[in-house]
Amino acid sequence: MQYQSQMVAKPYFIAAIGLFVAQILFGLIMGLQYVMGDFLFPEIPFNVARMVHTNLLIVWLLFGFMGASYYLVPEESETELHSPKLALALFWIFLVAGALTIVGYLAVPYATLAKITGNDLLPTMGREFLEQPTITKIGIVIVALGFLFNIAMTVLKGRKTTVNLVLLIGLTGLAVLFLFSFYNPDNLVLDKMFWWWVVHLWVEGVWELILGSILAFVLIKTTGVDREVIEKWLYVIIAMTLITGIIGTGHHYYWIGTPEYWQLLGSVFSAMEPIPFFMMTVFAFNMINRRRREHPNKVAVLWAMGTAVMAFLGAGVWGFIHTLSPVNFYTHGSQITAAHGHMAFYGAYVMIVLTIISYAMPMMRGRAAANSNKSQVMEMWSFWLMTVSMVFITLFLTAAGILQVYLQRMGGDAALSFMVAQEKIALFYWLREGAGVVFLIGLIVYIASFFVGGKERAETA
Amino acid sequence: MQKGDHELLLTSTITWLLLLALTLVTYAAAQLGVEGKWLILGVLAIALIKGKLIIDRFMGLRWVGSFWRPMLDLYLFTVGGLIATAFLLP
Amino acid sequence: MGESDSPVLSQQKATLSMTVPDSNRTSCAITTDYPPGDVAIWIFILAELSVFALLFVVYAFTRHYNLELFDLHQQQLDSRSGLINTLTLITSSYFVVRAVAAIQYGNARLCSRWLWGAIALGLLFLLVKGVEYQHHFSLGIGLSTNLFYTFYISLTFFHFMHVIMGMVILTVVALKAGRGGYCATEHTGVETAASYWHMVDLVWLILFPLVYVMR
Repeated sequence: MQYQSQMVAKPYFIAAIGLFVAQILFGLIMGLQYVMGDFLFPEIPFNVARMVHTNLLIVWLLFGFMGASYYLVPEESETELHSPKLALALFWIFLVAGALTIVGYLAVPYATLAKITGNDLLPTMGREFLEQPTITKIGIVIVALGFLFNIAMTVLKGRKTTVNLVLLIGLTGLAVLFLFSFYNPDNLVLDKMFWWWVVHLWVEGVWELILGSILAFVLIKTTGVDREVIEKWLYVIIAMTLITGIIGTGHHYYWIGTPEYWQLLGSVFSAMEPIPFFMMTVFAFNMINRRRREHPNKVAVLWAMGTAVMAFLGAGVWGFIHTLSPVNFYTHGSQITAAHGHMAFYGAYVMIVLTIISYAMPMMRGRAAANSNKSQVMEMWSFWLMTVSMVFITLFLTAAGILQVYLQRMGGDAALSFMVAQEKIALFYWLREGAGVVFLIGLIVYIASFFVGGKERAETA
Repeated sequence: MQKGDHELLLTSTITWLLLLALTLVTYAAAQLGVEGKWLILGVLAIALIKGKLIIDRFMGLRWVGSFWRPMLDLYLFTVGGLIATAFLLP
Repeated sequence: MGESDSPVLSQQKATLSMTVPDSNRTSCAITTDYPPGDVAIWIFILAELSVFALLFVVYAFTRHYNLELFDLHQQQLDSRSGLINTLTLITSSYFVVRAVAAIQYGNARLCSRWLWGAIALGLLFLLVKGVEYQHHFSLGIGLSTNLFYTFYISLTFFHFMHVIMGMVILTVVALKAGRGGYCATEHTGVETAASYWHMVDLVWLILFPLVYVMR
């Protein structure tokens, strides 16, 4: 670690991992509720568990992105962070606001929460993934502004690099697009349309820029390949991401009342969305093959390779499966969507955050460039446990989805009703829950890896 | 400039004129009322020839061996083939 | 082919491997594994070409199932504008070829002049296309008018954006060339921009007959 102020990333990473655990626990609760509908009812109804599961994911990934930025921007800029104090203050504000919001979800009915938080004054609640009370949303905006200010000032005073530039564009886009969560038109079509500007343009637009720049940073550091080469790739990848991703929003506009031409634009452009992910895979493996040094932190390199592969599979391939409008006509909102959502979020965003944590944490904990071998081996075990179980979760959900579509939507007059179809696919939900338990074990192993082998040093560190 | 330099410029200039001429042929064919299969096949063939000229002469892939030139040739072939199929389907 | 073939390859630096000269050619034409310009732009070009390919093929098959509609509305297009724009882009591409040739001989000023010429022609293209759009929009034609116009506007507008993108790249390179930022031995930037611009041309050469002429 070259700059003292990079240390502010540490609490962000720790909070991210903590919230990650909570997210997985709620995932398991919900997974069980799929097959045992009254599990934990009325304390934690399904809709609340779902809200907590998805909101926690977004919040901890944001913690991860912020931590990643605080860590890599000073190093890239070759200067101390503009204000470490501001970064720490924002950390606590964000953590407390996030925790209060989750407590609010769990403690009182959603309608009551809306009432208490004055949703009437500026109604923004009630939309999937954007369920946060209006005051929480305002808090998020304040935190995002402070964060951007801090990062931008650091970038401006120091060395300008492509990694920093792309990251900054991504973070700015993230903040600006979030503003559409305050736009809540009465017209349901417009409401849905702009809702996707947050949801889709985040995960299939600006977040990919953040992902690309973090991946590029880790690869520059671990492979020793020329910065120019890596930056060139980064440019090509983000250009392709934006070309396909922005108009690709159209794949959400098939059935919500938007004009018919979205069937064409959405299908064609989103069918091309796997391209940038594929490039990312080729890029990562290429750089690692051309490495000029053996970085002692092998597990960070493993995470980086894992990100490149799993992002392509989860976001690229599993997205493509149901993105064409004639296919989506049948698969829309089925378990196939859930399968895609799980693998894409894990493969692209969870794994990139774990990559940067894996790279940065040893240095922030004063362990030179890498953890001891013992700790690394344990982390590799957690990598495989989590990744393989996520592959199985995805496969089980895909099987469930195919069956669901077949039974419920393709049978003509003989098609089954929703609940009857759900019962027929219960076996796959049980299997998914089993895979979920393995995922949790992987996560526990991951956390345990932080606490072993602290005394030993990595061989080549 | 050496003798060869002129040759190179000449090649690209001839290519350019050829491209212009082929474009005019395409346009004229449509104006003169050529229709149906002949128009489709002829115009498509001309488009692919033009594409090949651009790839080889302008992009300079004539000397590029593995991968890139075959890749772009394959591109023209595939796109041309699929378009022809769609237009000639009964 | 004479000695002159080698300037095209002058981006080759010592680091790049070359295969043995092909003795079947009249002289020392050399094949290489690397296209002109930066390899990254070629990956990008391939990706972009794929998007266009998909659009072209979907157009062709959709037309097949809506024959009358497509024939009827295709005839309402102003094929003269299409013709002018095709000639414009071809010529613009040629200018870029000349610009690359100029820098290969170390003539940066000439290079930048050819580039500015190419950019001016790009502008002409946008103008002609703009007048065409203006005409459509004044008749109230839009993406939703019918399937043909959905395709026509999507395809041409997507290409339109690429022309703008290409012009931005060419402008950056022209300015750098004007400042003397390239020389006979180092001008990868010029070749990179040139390759992209030729791609924009190539796409239009398929788009024009497909959308304006073939029926």
